[in-house]
Amino acid sequence: MSAAPGASLRSLPCHGLERRRRSLVSAAWLLCLASLGAQAAEPLPPAEAAAWLQRMADASRRLAYEGVFVFQHGDSAMQSLRVANRPVATGKDSRLTAMDGLQREVRCTQSGSLSLLTEGGEVRAERRLNSRHFPDLLPANAAALANWYSVRLGEASRVAGLDCQEVQLEPRDAYRWGYLLCAEKNTALPLKAAMVNEAGHTLMQYRFAEIRLGAPPKNVAAPLPEMPAAARPVATESVGVRSLPPGYTRITAVKRKLPNRGDEVEHWVFSDGLTHISLFIEPARQPVESVRGQSKLGMINMLTRQVGPMRTTVLGDAPWPAVEAIAMNLEARPAGAPR
Amino acid sequence: MTALHNLAAQADTPPRETRLSALLDGELDDAAARAMLREVVANAAQREQFSEYCRIGDALRGLGHDSARLRGRVMAALEEEPTLLAPMPKAVTRQPVLWLAAATVAAITWGLWSMAPRQEDHARMAANEQAHLAQAAHDDRMVPYLAAHQDFAQAVVAPSEMRFTRVTLAEADR
Repeated sequence: MSAAPGASLRSLPCHGLERRRRSLVSAAWLLCLASLGAQAAEPLPPAEAAAWLQRMADASRRLAYEGVFVFQHGDSAMQSLRVANRPVATGKDSRLTAMDGLQREVRCTQSGSLSLLTEGGEVRAERRLNSRHFPDLLPANAAALANWYSVRLGEASRVAGLDCQEVQLEPRDAYRWGYLLCAEKNTALPLKAAMVNEAGHTLMQYRFAEIRLGAPPKNVAAPLPEMPAAARPVATESVGVRSLPPGYTRITAVKRKLPNRGDEVEHWVFSDGLTHISLFIEPARQPVESVRGQSKLGMINMLTRQVGPMRTTVLGDAPWPAVEAIAMNLEARPAGAPR
Repeated sequence: MTALHNLAAQADTPPRETRLSALLDGELDDAAARAMLREVVANAAQREQFSEYCRIGDALRGLGHDSARLRGRVMAALEEEPTLLAPMPKAVTRQPVLWLAAATVAAITWGLWSMAPRQEDHARMAANEQAHLAQAAHDDRMVPYLAAHQDFAQAVVAPSEMRFTRVTLAEADR
C-alpha cells in the first residue's frame, strides 16, 4: 500500500473489470515474489499446497531448535533475536530474546505467554494474548490457508548453512499480503520469511543467521511467574460486524486494559490464520473524528471512527482493503442484543 | 460384538466428504487435521476431491478463470437436490463456503453476499481531507493500541512512524 492515506477511494468495479483486475493482481504478485529470488512455478495442487503449509506449521512447534535470526521491518535497521523452542505434549515452550537495544523477552509456555521488559534494572512483565513469533507464523491448522493463497515452490536455496526450499504464498485477493518462505529441506522448518506487498516491497523479513536443529535447548522456559489474567471475555456487545473479508473469522473478543492506560476497552481480533486485525471498542467521550493511519510502506493500516455511542479503532498489519472492509462494516447494536 | 463396535464407530465418524470439507474450512482439531491431510496426500481420489472442493470454493467466491461455468454446475446440481421436509439433526454449527453446497440456492446467494465484504463499502469514504494531522499527538494516542495489537502482530516491534489523515465518511457511516 504505497498510496497516500486517504487517497484510495475506488469507484464501484463492474464484474468483468473486477475479474480482469484480479488476474492482473495475480500476475503482479507473481512478479513481486519472483523479484525476491523465487522462480515462478505452477501453483501446487490444493492437497499438496495444504500438506506443505501444514508441514511448515508443525515443524515450528514440534521441533527442538535454538538459533539467532535477524528481523527487518521495511527499510528500518535490522534487529537480532535469539529463539529457542522445545517440543512439549501440547502447545509450545519457547523463548525469544532481543539481542539489540532494550532487554526484551517473550516467553511462551503451556500456561500462557508473557512479555518481559528490563529497563533500569527493573523487570516489567505483561501477559500476552497470543504466542506467535517467528518461525512459528503459520496457524496450527494451516491446511485451510490453501483457500486464500496459491502456493508455489520456488528455487532451492541456502540459509544459515542449511538447504531449504522456497515456498511462495500468493494471496488470491486483496485482503492479505504475499509471503515468501524458505523451508528447511528435511524438516520444513521455515528458515526465512518475507512479507511482501502488491507493489513488490518487502514489508518485513526474518532470516536465521545461525540455527541448531534437534538438540533440545536447555532452560528454555522456567515456570512463568503468577500474574493476573490479561483479559476477560466480552459479556455483551454494543457493536456488531455485518460481514468480514473472505476467510476472516473472529478469534478473540476480550475486555482488557491497554498498556499505560487505566480504563478497559474491548479488544476483538479477526484473522485468516496468517493476518491478524485488531478492533478496539470503547465509549466515545466526545464526537470522534474519523482518522486513517498508515505506517511507512503501509504495513500497518488503521481507521478510527465512531459507531453509535462507541469509538472504534481497527488496526492490523494487513492491507488497507481488509482494514477498511472491517471498519466500514461495523454497526451499532442495541443494548443487550444477542451476540 | 466387534462388528457392533465397528458399526458404532462408523456412526460416530462423519463421512469422508464432511471431514474433507472441514479440513479445508479449518474446522478440524490439530490432530484430526493432520490425520486427514495424511489421508488426502496418500490417496489420489481424495486429492482430486480436495481440489474439486477448492475449485467449488473459488467459484462461489467468484475467483478462478472458469468460475462462472463451475458456479453454473454447482447451481444446477443443487437444483436437482430433493427438498427435505423432515427436520435434520444439526451435527455442527458451521458457516464456511463448502457447506453452502448443501443448502438451497437461495441460501447460497444470501450466504455469498453476507460472507464477502461488499464492494460498495470501499466507496463509502466519500471524501477525504489530505491535511495530515498533528503527528505527535496522534502517535501518543495510538501507542496503547499498537502495543496491545503486538500480541497478535507478526512484527516483533511496532513501527516507529505512522502517518495520520483525517477522513470524511459518507453520511450513512458517521
